Amino acid sequence: MSETSSPTNEAPLLDTGVERDLQNVQESGLLDYRSESLPTWCPGCGYYGITHAMTEAINELDIEPHNLVFVSGIGCAGRYPFFMNAYGLHAIHGRAVPMGAGVKIANPDLSVIVVGGDGDGLGIGGGHLSHAIRRNVDITYILFDNGIYGLTKGQTSPTTPQEQITGTHPYGNPDMPLDAVTLGISYRASFVARGYAGQQHDLTPIMRRAFAHKGFSFVVVYTPCVTFDKVNITYENMRGNWKPLPDDYDDGNILEAMKYAMDDTLWHGVFYEEQRPTFHDHERETAEKARS
Amino acid sequence: MSVKTDNASRDVVIAVCGAAGDGSIAAGQILNMAATTMGYHVMNFDSFPAEIRGFGKSVAHSRISRDKALTPGTMVNCLVALDDPHSITELHSLTQDGVVIYDSKPADYHEEDQAVAGWIQPGMIGYGAPLRDLSAQATKSSKSRNIVALGVISYVFGFEPGAFHEAIHRRWSGKSESLREMNVEAFNLGYEYAEANIDKVDPIDFKNITEGHVTDANIVSGNEAAAKACLDANLRLYVGYPITPATKIMEILAKQLPKQGGVVVQSEDEISAICHVIGGGFAGKRSCTATSGPGVCLMTEALNLAVMAEVPCVLINAQRGGPSTGLPTKTEQSDLNLAIYGASGESPRAVLAPANVGECYQITRKAFEVADGFQTPVIVLMDFFLSNRMEDVRWQAEDPGTWGTYEDVLAEPSEEEYKRFAFTESGISPRSYPGMQDLQHPITGLEHTEDSLPAYSGENHTRMMAKRQRKLDKLAREWPGPEVVGPEGDLDVGIISWGSTVGAGKNAIKQLQAKTDARIGGLFPRLVWPLQTDAITEFAGRCEHLVVAETNYTGQFANLVQQVTLREVTRVAEAAARPLPTQIIVDRVQDLL
Ligand SMILES: Cc1ncc(C[n+]2csc(CCOP(=O)(O)OP(=O)(O)O)c2C)c(N)n1
Ligand code: SF4
Repeated sequence: MSETSSPTNEAPLLDTGVERDLQNVQESGLLDYRSESLPTWCPGCGYYGITHAMTEAINELDIEPHNLVFVSGIGCAGRYPFFMNAYGLHAIHGRAVPMGAGVKIANPDLSVIVVGGDGDGLGIGGGHLSHAIRRNVDITYILFDNGIYGLTKGQTSPTTPQEQITGTHPYGNPDMPLDAVTLGISYRASFVARGYAGQQHDLTPIMRRAFAHKGFSFVVVYTPCVTFDKVNITYENMRGNWKPLPDDYDDGNILEAMKYAMDDTLWHGVFYEEQRPTFHDHERETAEKARS
Repeated sequence: MSVKTDNASRDVVIAVCGAAGDGSIAAGQILNMAATTMGYHVMNFDSFPAEIRGFGKSVAHSRISRDKALTPGTMVNCLVALDDPHSITELHSLTQDGVVIYDSKPADYHEEDQAVAGWIQPGMIGYGAPLRDLSAQATKSSKSRNIVALGVISYVFGFEPGAFHEAIHRRWSGKSESLREMNVEAFNLGYEYAEANIDKVDPIDFKNITEGHVTDANIVSGNEAAAKACLDANLRLYVGYPITPATKIMEILAKQLPKQGGVVVQSEDEISAICHVIGGGFAGKRSCTATSGPGVCLMTEALNLAVMAEVPCVLINAQRGGPSTGLPTKTEQSDLNLAIYGASGESPRAVLAPANVGECYQITRKAFEVADGFQTPVIVLMDFFLSNRMEDVRWQAEDPGTWGTYEDVLAEPSEEEYKRFAFTESGISPRSYPGMQDLQHPITGLEHTEDSLPAYSGENHTRMMAKRQRKLDKLAREWPGPEVVGPEGDLDVGIISWGSTVGAGKNAIKQLQAKTDARIGGLFPRLVWPLQTDAITEFAGRCEHLVVAETNYTGQFANLVQQVTLREVTRVAEAAARPLPTQIIVDRVQDLL
């Protein structure tokens, strides 16, 4: 990730095709959600794709920028709020989930989306996930899973496969990787999905459902770190092994969800969704009990 | 220190001692309630076994006085012995002419040296009453010995029995009428027995000198006062993780806050607690957590974000003995450095320290206003002693306005581009929070520009450091000057203390003024960071000797005073797992004179 300069947008338009595309984008409303800062991620980073899918979904749901809060951890993924026109809380490493929960609990009228990397969410901040799920606070947590520490330039993360060689494991990673999706299902998050940054047309609907879900929605997005991972989540490797969940898949069956999540094939889509009372529903009850 | 017991001062310390389960604490509560209704002030500090309930010694320690006491007093004028073995170990704190109330017919025969009565020294006064028998007579159980003993106290010291009857009904208002009546009967039997059998020879006499019935006083602990402050400050979000001695604050808020539309969350750890709170503060709602030293250690990283990103929030640190897990049920003021400096980088925040229970209310309430007004985390430094001691408090009289008023500066949408961290003279930039239209912005713990984008230039960093510091300079100017007591002009000795040690500091001045001709004064800050340096140097300039008293090992506030005044100070600093006894300050000052 380049920390030095952002590319500027001043190049003259070359042909009318581009102009037309630009016009389409402008009319789409997508730009309303973009800040003036252009993303500083490396060219080719999967995060661009995730950002696009998220923006499309937010635009479709017509969430107003001043009622939208992005909360992020530290890492390349953590830079996300700077690139969006919304309120943003760039938190500290591993703590985006509790901070996002705090924002939502303090003001339930806001739409709160938490984003962060796999190191942020499963390593240093791993302890918070289960508890946010237990509380079922109505926020969406999008885990940008690139299997590597990006911002600190290529060390082992909790999702790096065994034997992979990284900056901190020059002889190969000895530790078994975690799988965020199985974690989410086993904690019984009320919404668990897996998506892929390279597959826009599937990712946007997942995002839309996640944002619309009432309760804690957990979306794990596989995303290539083109700079520091040449062997694991690369665009090539993802091509063969990536399948949408079957048409007759029942997303209300948690055992099925676990079976598909643990399969060798990388299935993607919404694994599990359950409507259960959210933190706010419980709070309303608590308030009633306290008052009576 | 020995409390005078003459009528004019009407100031006694009564300790009710027994094994856990003997009802010492309940007896103390009723005594306190009764004394307060009679118009007296009380200061009460209970001690009970630190570890598992059901074993060990329980002591309710109440100071009852006409004028508001500054300290609970270290010597006891009257020991009520509900048992023998534990009460014997309390005798060392009885004054030479102290009174012991004991059971004249205990359940088992004791060798003389195992009964508290056998330990009463010449000069002391013993009043025996068959506590156990009278208790059984009233309630068919020995468990109301404590209430029988209150009857004896009421008679011998001349406390109005009616006030006790009322207090007994209040103490057990949730219980059945018959249970309350049985306890009133136990009290009456004690009173009548004493009236008929005890020859009063002690000088303590509260008879016919009651101050008039008071109904608006509450006997509350520092934790209760702080919790009420949160409620009255319109707290919206409390998130905490249980830890002694702060837990009570959370338990009260869990019950009360939902009634007024606020939310309480028990988080998985203190990191999560402060993170939720910062989220809430960023969302524009008053948010707070309370913890003790080990919890603050976990919170420092996130708290530093609140400094950098200028998020208002309040952190109450009810200090206990440290380091590490330390002494969970003992008092200490050793987290001052942690409160002021606990962060990477240089991270200016406000630290307030209340001096008594009433101030736990006032200062905590004010903390929310300071947090909003200066867009900063505010740490309220309480300690075990303040958290758990009880005082009579009249809420109307506890005016947070004493500590100034601070405005919350909010942004308005305008044509010009909104800069969340705009450079201003005061350092305070109008803030906005999610939900406010057209004022969207990110905040970050990275160093940032006025419009909150990450920026690493030296020039910008310097200006931002200065901006954040200017806010605190403004607070130091606007917060009322530290309390200064004593004669004007030059002083032989100036005593400085803070937080829960302010009482002992002021008490020392009173005692020294009474027994020496020396000119003694004191300075007692409530804003302990940023320091009000002008006031401190001005005061120091008048003093030949400066004494700084606090309950920590290294003299953390003394270090600050030395730094500001560039002179040697005398430290009265001890880490002895107790509130600082006034006598230690007095002795030290007398050495200097
Ligand atoms: C307490 C703390 N420890 C370490 C760091 C350094 N650090 C910054 S980002 C990061 C890991 C980033 O990896 P990941 O969360 O997977 O996000 P990515 O950069 O891949 O998006 C680390 C270790 C930090 N900021 N804070
Ligand atoms: S995740 Fe990898 S590719 Fe993406 S910005 Fe970071 S370093 Fe670059």
